[in-house]
Amino acid sequence: MKKLLGITLGILTSVGGFVDIGDLVASSQAGARFGTAHAWVLLVGVIGICAYAEMAGRVVAVSRRPVFDLIRERLGPRVALANLAGSYVLTVVTLGAEMGGVALALQLLTSANYLVWIPLVGLVLWLALWRLKFATLERVFGLGGLALVVFAVAVFVLPTHWDTVWHLASRPGPPSGTETWPTYWYFAVAIFASALTPYEVFFYSSGGVEEQWTPKELSQSKINVFVGFPLGGLLALSLMIVATVVFHPLNTSVSALGQVALPPTMALGRIGLALAILGFFAATFGAAMETGLSCAYTVAQYFGWPWGKVLRPVKAARFHTVLLVSILIGMAILLTTIDPIQLTEYMLIFSAVALPLTYLPILVIANDRGYMGERVNGRFANALGTVYLIIVLAAAVAAIPLMIMTRAGA
Amino acid sequence: MTILVGLNLLDRQIVDRDGDPVGKVDDVELGVDDDGVPYVAALLVGQEVLGERIGADLGTWMAGIARRLRTDRHPKPLRIGYDLVSEVNAAVRLSVKRDLLPDAPLEDWLRDHLVRHIPGAQEKE
Repeated sequence: MKKLLGITLGILTSVGGFVDIGDLVASSQAGARFGTAHAWVLLVGVIGICAYAEMAGRVVAVSRRPVFDLIRERLGPRVALANLAGSYVLTVVTLGAEMGGVALALQLLTSANYLVWIPLVGLVLWLALWRLKFATLERVFGLGGLALVVFAVAVFVLPTHWDTVWHLASRPGPPSGTETWPTYWYFAVAIFASALTPYEVFFYSSGGVEEQWTPKELSQSKINVFVGFPLGGLLALSLMIVATVVFHPLNTSVSALGQVALPPTMALGRIGLALAILGFFAATFGAAMETGLSCAYTVAQYFGWPWGKVLRPVKAARFHTVLLVSILIGMAILLTTIDPIQLTEYMLIFSAVALPLTYLPILVIANDRGYMGERVNGRFANALGTVYLIIVLAAAVAAIPLMIMTRAGA
Repeated sequence: MTILVGLNLLDRQIVDRDGDPVGKVDDVELGVDDDGVPYVAALLVGQEVLGERIGADLGTWMAGIARRLRTDRHPKPLRIGYDLVSEVNAAVRLSVKRDLLPDAPLEDWLRDHLVRHIPGAQEKE
């Protein structure tokens, strides 16, 4: 049990990246339209986030410096400021969308319009971040998000046609019919970007500082990475497979959270529905915490301000002010009645553009003996890191043109 | 001891003797000794000096906001004499406690006017 509680940071980080409100719908949508033809992208994404989160965790354990410290240190104040501005806008908009996701889960439960729930969601989120311990937050929402395992169970309860699943997964590309290659690649970039969203490494590395990791915790960080992120990827894969089974044969598309909950309901009845809603709630609330804290972490780390939940709030006044203001901005975005699900999907495409500026400094510092001493990257980590830097660059270049060509995957 | 100011010093995190964050090395003040050899006299911390270092419109704008957020007439950045630096590695470590250095004015203002008035602000997590 203690071991399980030690890896909740990895689980929460990865649930917030792989199965937040945008991905719950996007993975199901990909399954409905393309079947499992994007499964390989999830695999590529999981390996990439594992490689870079492991580096970021190692840097934190050895040097206590979180990712945004490295960004400013290596890229200089100007480029880092551009990265900060871009990341902050993306993360705060995503924060708004995640709060919308919590409200949508409450709408499923109560039938009251999600907009009614937004003030309450904002207040509870802020209270949780103000009052609860970091470890408590991790445990409650990391483990709560695991209710989504109901989708993995549904894969086996539903009459899954494994031949079809494998056939689609082993032949990447749009299935014959109405879908095109640009749309296929547009979805691929979005799924890849959701695996490597910058706020995951911001949050994960800052969480390591909050938990006061030292070189003794190196192995704990590794377990967090190599269990947490594959678990998130597996949940996303389950969403894709059940959508392949239920929606793909009917040629229906998925655009609402209620539809996403249909496969586990068909498989397990009311219990399936209840667990799905609980999972939606915990995963989106966890993602809201992750993005909200990331907003405040990055700003404070860029300027060098005292930060973190480990400090008393009076000792980190600027940090807590940024956190509060970010939540208010997120609520304001939502109250324009913009669709939170579409919003996160757009943010994923824009974040694909910002990825290289976040991952390059991690790779550089992980090779710096001044920071890392003997614990610099080995050959394998460098080879993997370099390959992924190239993939990330390709995704960054392709993201916007694909978005325009396909009219955002329409 | 030689030190590459641009690579090893600028933009690093400054921490106090217990590891608590103090600020970034936003700029440095150089001096020249009797033999004409330049040395680092002090670390400068604050968004005013950072803005000036960034330059262009954006930097000027940042420095302007930072000055406007201060209450004193002729604001000066936090200046930490280099003799207080005990170690330079992943961070720049000082030999004193943070409490001995003046807090940043914005931190003071937000603490006294906002954060301190929210219940629970004094409590550890």
